Amino acid sequence: MRIKYLVLGLLLQFSCFSQNKEVLYNFTTILQASLVNPGADVSYKFYFGFPLLSGVSLNAGSSSFAAYDLFAKNGVDFNQKVRDVVNKSSRNDKVVTNEQLEVFSGGFRVGGTESRSYVSFGVYQEFDFFMYMPKDLAILALDGNKDYIGKAFHLDDLSVKAEVLSVFHVGFHKKMNDKLVLGGRAKIYSSGANAVSVHNSGYIYTGQEPGTPNLYNQIISSNLELKTSGLSSFTKDEYDGNIVRDIAHNTFFNGSLGLGLDAGVTYYLKENLQVTGSIIDLGFVRQSKDIETLTYKGTYQYKGANPDFTNQNDPENVFDEFKKAIPRDTLYNKYTTWRPTKIYTSVEYSFGKSRSDEECNCHGHVTERYKNAAGIQFFAMTAPREPLVALTAFYKRNIFEKLDVKATYTVDSFSNKNIGLGLSGTIWKLNIYALANNVLEYKDVSKASSAAFQIGLNFVFQDKEE
Amino acid sequence: MKHSFSNKISSLFLLVFLLFSCSSDLDFNQAKDLKLEPAYVANLAYFDVPANKLTNSGGNQIIFDSRDFDIFKKQFFRDYLSKAEFDVEIENNIQRSFVVNMLFLNSKNQVLITKTFSVPAYTGTSNVIKYPTEVFENQRLELLKQTEQIGFIVLMASGTPLDQSSLGNLKFRSSATAYFTIQ
Repeated sequence: MRIKYLVLGLLLQFSCFSQNKEVLYNFTTILQASLVNPGADVSYKFYFGFPLLSGVSLNAGSSSFAAYDLFAKNGVDFNQKVRDVVNKSSRNDKVVTNEQLEVFSGGFRVGGTESRSYVSFGVYQEFDFFMYMPKDLAILALDGNKDYIGKAFHLDDLSVKAEVLSVFHVGFHKKMNDKLVLGGRAKIYSSGANAVSVHNSGYIYTGQEPGTPNLYNQIISSNLELKTSGLSSFTKDEYDGNIVRDIAHNTFFNGSLGLGLDAGVTYYLKENLQVTGSIIDLGFVRQSKDIETLTYKGTYQYKGANPDFTNQNDPENVFDEFKKAIPRDTLYNKYTTWRPTKIYTSVEYSFGKSRSDEECNCHGHVTERYKNAAGIQFFAMTAPREPLVALTAFYKRNIFEKLDVKATYTVDSFSNKNIGLGLSGTIWKLNIYALANNVLEYKDVSKASSAAFQIGLNFVFQDKEE
Repeated sequence: MKHSFSNKISSLFLLVFLLFSCSSDLDFNQAKDLKLEPAYVANLAYFDVPANKLTNSGGNQIIFDSRDFDIFKKQFFRDYLSKAEFDVEIENNIQRSFVVNMLFLNSKNQVLITKTFSVPAYTGTSNVIKYPTEVFENQRLELLKQTEQIGFIVLMASGTPLDQSSLGNLKFRSSATAYFTIQ
């Protein structure tokens, strides 16, 4: 039944992690690293991503529970498990999901072989979901108010937003000199569906107070607001289409439009000491297609039936009174949503020089590079209540000429022992990469509170060796 | 050498992907077992009649009132209410005894259920009576779900005359506990 699945659905959004791509960041043998820092020190003659396979990423996580807690085949009653999950959670626990799929991508160097200016472009589709644990509402649905007399159930526990959008982007980066790389990326967002309900307040209260005439003092004070864009036509009775197909169509061809900017920098303090920084998705979407805002605002005190034995034709109607006190209003105003903006910074120290192990080096043109790099990264992302932050220590190693590995150790609100691993290898012109975090949990992924992976294929063409 | 190099790459990638496959035995069908069983407490009915509104020379007297009670017009209540309990508390500070009849009426004003509460006269000491919890289940619950009005017939037994200056009140307070089973 609908209510049941609504409750379950809210609990089950344990998809993903906070969009932190700590393994990809500054992993410059992967061209998609320029999506998390347009000023990353990457170079190519030209490249193109394998359509739909150049960048597939999925992050899933919740800060309070894992799939195992709910679905373990351990004989414990499912309802008990749901209760346990709700009880041990806090209202600041969050459930975050991010999915990205590159539809196509490519890039080329501008100017001749001596030029160090690069253009990159592409289209990707993205899905974002962010929700805080609506703990009070979950208790109210699971247990009711019977055992919570005197408690105010807070409606501001409800804080959720979701968006499906496509992003058309063009980036440019230039190695200004041997020390400095600057880059930027312009983005056009096309949002196919958006739902935001983050500015809620109010409470549902049942108390027993001496001196009040009724048995209970029952008040609902509501200030709820849900803004949607691209969704309201699906809720109409006369709609009979394919929701998934229609949202996909709107996402690419008929979405609410927005603009965004990425910027980044790489700077070499010394040959082997590098700092980087980037800001990603500094932008907004002007939600204007198929918009609808629902509000429930008002205060209602429930007294039950109150006969006065004087006027026998005094009509009293609980639901009418309730609707009058807390009316459902529908507005059709355009609204602006800000994209979740991400900030990355890193410091990287390289060591252990190695000669190229290419067999032939007839021209005596010895290319030396560092085999190892280690450092620290910092990540922050805007969120409705307070920003999410993460700190990562990493180690990169060049194993063979064309195989690089990066390992990360990340501390954030989801986990304090999140180890990530990434591999990037090139066979002929084909660059293949696979990144995953929380690998410690992969021995039993169902117990992981978060997991993220990303894979991709690119065809990369460099200048021929002289 | 080139050969073993690409072999190493592919075995490394294979290793990474194999790591994805480990998981405890999960049973997602359990979601079907989800059963919500919340219990909500709410005010049911309340009145407070002062003695000076019951001016009376000493004989029997009957007063009546009824109120719309449209909760059960909502499909949700008809579908998922699995049990209801009523608690009633009456305080009488008037020097007369009463019988309070609480009537549950359907849309045609037919009485579905009658509950009767006897209230002794006030004698100068605290006179608050908590009546036993009334439980509605099964057939009685189905009857209750047809309710669209709640009526009260208050009978005052003969006794001390009451006038404009008489003191005291007859206070009726009640609550309902609604048990839902949503499956």
